[in-house]
Amino acid sequence: MEPRQRRFVIIAAVVVAVWTMAPFFWLLWASLMKNADLNQGIVAWLHDPTLQNYARVFGLAGDDEGYDAIFGAQTVAVGNGFINSLVVALPTAIIATAVATLAGYAFGRFDFRGKNSFLFGLLMSRVLPPIAILIPYFTLFNAVGMIGNPISLVITYLTAIIPLLAWVLMGYFATLPLEVERAARLDGCSRLQVLWHVMLPMAAPGISAAFIIAFLFAWNELLFALVLTGGSEWLTLSPALIGVSPIGPLGITPMVVFAAASTLSIIPPVIMALIFQRYITRLNIVDPVTIRGV
Amino acid sequence: MATKQRPYMSDARFALLIVAVVLAFHVIIIAMPLGYSFYLSLHETNIILRRSDYVGFDMWQEALDTPEVIQATLLSLEFAAISVVLSFALSLGIAVVLDLDFPLRGLLRALVLMPWAISEIVTAGMWTMVTDPGWGVFNGILVPLGIVPEGFVWLNENWALFWLSVAFVWHIAPLGAFFFLAALQSIPDALYRAARMDGAGPLARFWYVTVPHIRYAVLIVLVVMTVDAFRQFDLVYAYTAGGPGTVTELLPLQIYRFNFQFSQYGLASASSFILIIIATVLATAYFFLLSRRRRVEREVRQAAVITG
Repeated sequence: MEPRQRRFVIIAAVVVAVWTMAPFFWLLWASLMKNADLNQGIVAWLHDPTLQNYARVFGLAGDDEGYDAIFGAQTVAVGNGFINSLVVALPTAIIATAVATLAGYAFGRFDFRGKNSFLFGLLMSRVLPPIAILIPYFTLFNAVGMIGNPISLVITYLTAIIPLLAWVLMGYFATLPLEVERAARLDGCSRLQVLWHVMLPMAAPGISAAFIIAFLFAWNELLFALVLTGGSEWLTLSPALIGVSPIGPLGITPMVVFAAASTLSIIPPVIMALIFQRYITRLNIVDPVTIRGV
Repeated sequence: MATKQRPYMSDARFALLIVAVVLAFHVIIIAMPLGYSFYLSLHETNIILRRSDYVGFDMWQEALDTPEVIQATLLSLEFAAISVVLSFALSLGIAVVLDLDFPLRGLLRALVLMPWAISEIVTAGMWTMVTDPGWGVFNGILVPLGIVPEGFVWLNENWALFWLSVAFVWHIAPLGAFFFLAALQSIPDALYRAARMDGAGPLARFWYVTVPHIRYAVLIVLVVMTVDAFRQFDLVYAYTAGGPGTVTELLPLQIYRFNFQFSQYGLASASSFILIIIATVLATAYFFLLSRRRRVEREVRQAAVITG
């Protein structure tokens, strides 16, 4: 490559890197500031960095300036939200991946009458607006007294994510070679044995990707969590973050505490994104189209 | 030889069994609530008297007669349109850069997916850091340079929808970039070499070699981004909460308010069917495009079998 062209390529790469990373940088920067310093402007040298904001999220900071009396409850909710979100996201991801693996295998491997209608149904539920599903669910859960119960949240998340995962895995199963499966059948494996001992190991990368998509969705989702766990002891991470957000409806918590809580909340997603990126480039999923949170 | 799978009888039954289980699950978790939502939309609920009266399609009529609903629908469409243009340009741009050769390319490819993985709430927080009129990054840099006045409000009545869209696009474009990157990587280098030997410049190579190969990725990114923008709630709620005034009061947020703040259940359900109908139209277009893509791929594969 000629030097001029090379310089241009490197400038373009730097632009992409800055666009992607700058918001992460400023969030981290703000989380290390004192609120009084932040109010002077975020674009300033960090002359007095502090971990106080992180300590507050973990409930380890002393009660200086009467912070706990005003914001204590919301801030503690963030810490609990981590555990609650884990309790909701793990079963969601496990059940959704299991169901979607079966569905993806059936759709990806076999032709049968009415298959296209099934696919269309799957896709339709993928584009349904969450709010349209939420209203009837809320009314139903309310009637049976399941508001504030994590099971109701897991059920709604499964609704939203399974069609998408089935679609992704269908594409993945369709790319796997048929010969291995045939050979296993000839060797006398039953259909289920083939699925368990032959297909699942081969599909492991796709299944892991599906698991990550489902986990990220359940970890990040706000609307369902807000309505179904809001105000209860099962408040998950997203509504808890809204609770400490100075730009949210309550709007009085210090921005620096919100920045620290947000920074902590993105650690699991960021790790998963870095893993997922390896899969996404190595995999060649037939319809990469559909890999999108709901 | 093209090998198309012909299931034996037991296979077909096995497949149908699995499909039946999935379908049953599907009906329980989706069709039932939707049916119930339809039922709600035909009733007017009075929470004080604790009664619910059948009113036919009155609520649907009311939704269409409510200026707020119409305004929110139009705003949602506008938001989707702005977002789809921005995210298309951005994701294609990122993909083209990631396809080039430069030091630390692997690292950048890994980092680029991060905005997609984080929540809309944190996205909203990050963009508040950037656009806050008092202490934000933009004013922190541009006010000392004299480009904007002190305390310039970026999320003003005219531009709030645009900045909401920018935050959304920052969050969603990495995914589109990876679709495009996959499409770009599937183009054989030989084609570029041949085009270069024929004397094609960079622009001609892009237009005649790259564009035809990524055409389907283009269609798909367009539709996915439109649908996702159209149903966005989390980011709107966390970033602008519909404001200033109601200039970013998009339809999902509006429906949320009807139902959970104003207890107008019938109106909320009826309005949500506007959302469902538009989403259905988009989904149909989506499915049509995808199945057309399949057909073309099959033709290409058959052509390869014949010529290869």
